[in-house]
Amino acid sequence: MRFPRHDLHTLTGVYALDAVDGAERDLFEHHLRRCKPCGNEVRGLSDTATELAMAAALPPPPRVKERVLAATAVTRQLPPVIDHHRPQRALHRVPRPSWTPRLAAAVAVISLAVAVVLGAAGLRTRHELDSARSQDQAIAAVLAAPDARIMSRATTDGGSATVVVSRVEGKIVFTTAGLPRLPASKVYELWLLGPPRIRRAGLLPAPTAGRTAPVLASGLTTGDSVGVTVEPAGGTSQPTTSPIVVMSLQA
Amino acid sequence: MRAVRPGPGLEEGRDQGLDVLLGMVARGDQDAFEAVYDRLAGPVYGLIRRVVKDRAQSEEVTQEALLEVWRNASRFDPARGSAATWVMTIAHRRAVDRVRSAAASAQREQRTAQPLVADDEVAETAAVNLDAERVRRCLDGLTELQRESITLAYYGGYTYPEVAGLLHTALGTVKTRIRDGLIRLRDCMGVS
Repeated sequence: MRFPRHDLHTLTGVYALDAVDGAERDLFEHHLRRCKPCGNEVRGLSDTATELAMAAALPPPPRVKERVLAATAVTRQLPPVIDHHRPQRALHRVPRPSWTPRLAAAVAVISLAVAVVLGAAGLRTRHELDSARSQDQAIAAVLAAPDARIMSRATTDGGSATVVVSRVEGKIVFTTAGLPRLPASKVYELWLLGPPRIRRAGLLPAPTAGRTAPVLASGLTTGDSVGVTVEPAGGTSQPTTSPIVVMSLQA
Repeated sequence: MRAVRPGPGLEEGRDQGLDVLLGMVARGDQDAFEAVYDRLAGPVYGLIRRVVKDRAQSEEVTQEALLEVWRNASRFDPARGSAATWVMTIAHRRAVDRVRSAAASAQREQRTAQPLVADDEVAETAAVNLDAERVRRCLDGLTELQRESITLAYYGGYTYPEVAGLLHTALGTVKTRIRDGLIRLRDCMGVS
């Protein structure tokens, strides 16, 4: 590898400040798992960074508190990480603990949703199962794409939306958590909001355990954003209500 | 009245109240979460404002970060670090994700063109913020390169290669100066 070991150790500082990215970061995290002195140093330096944050304290407007507390009331919490030395059933596998779950955790969350759909949601025929599996593979390809990026955003109704985007694949994988359940006459519809025009990107399935199974949308073009609106059952060709969330996919 | 002493293995001075509160949050206790909010929303928002600058976006990122604290509370492990650091790590990561996503590259130009945060607000809070006073004194004890590198990386949200570019300094130099500077800060602030 390009980064010799003695060099890796000096990354403790930039790592504590979250100022190292990409392959170098992955490499250092790998090193960190086996290097106890590095771990201790990172802890001390991270606590030092926390002091820098404390010194920058600024009271947020009261509306922030209202929104956050309202969101917690409808946001399901993640289960604790279970001892991973013990073998577990596939569906109960939880992502490796990580200080801030990024792509790996999102992949786990999305994979779990796929597994739930494959395992539980009334897939009756061979054909249905096969098409669900090929959908699953297409989703896996986006998640594994070298340029995959993840974004999450709170929705206006207190849920959250997560999108994984790969420009190489020209696709996105979209999933949500904590969205309010809709009456049967309505549906959440996904849109690709391009500067030239708005394209339908599919309907979100009804949530299972608070999450909607991942939806794959392709045909991404430069400048696209992704958005969700509430529409009459069956969907519409253009949005008719204001979006509950919009995320720019600009890379 | 009995003073509560830190338990064995946990360093003195660490706010164990927060550790306990986060444990309660992990079990879905919304009152505990509100207490965590009251203690840490200021530093979280202040840090995010420093990095993101834009007020509306900062509020949004603050909401995301604090909601992530709620969702992931069960993943907090006191053996691996303090609750405050766990929360601040999430907040900084969220802020940095927002500005580093290249969508922000255009805004980034504007961001650097703007004055560093709204200076009036910072000055106002700094006056009553003893932490700020202590940190400022410790920052004053660093070399200029150490101080600039740390400030750009942490408050600016720049990666260290970006910091090296901004300061016209070699990559390896910035990396070691940041580490040396942080170690000096740690010793100056008495962080264990």
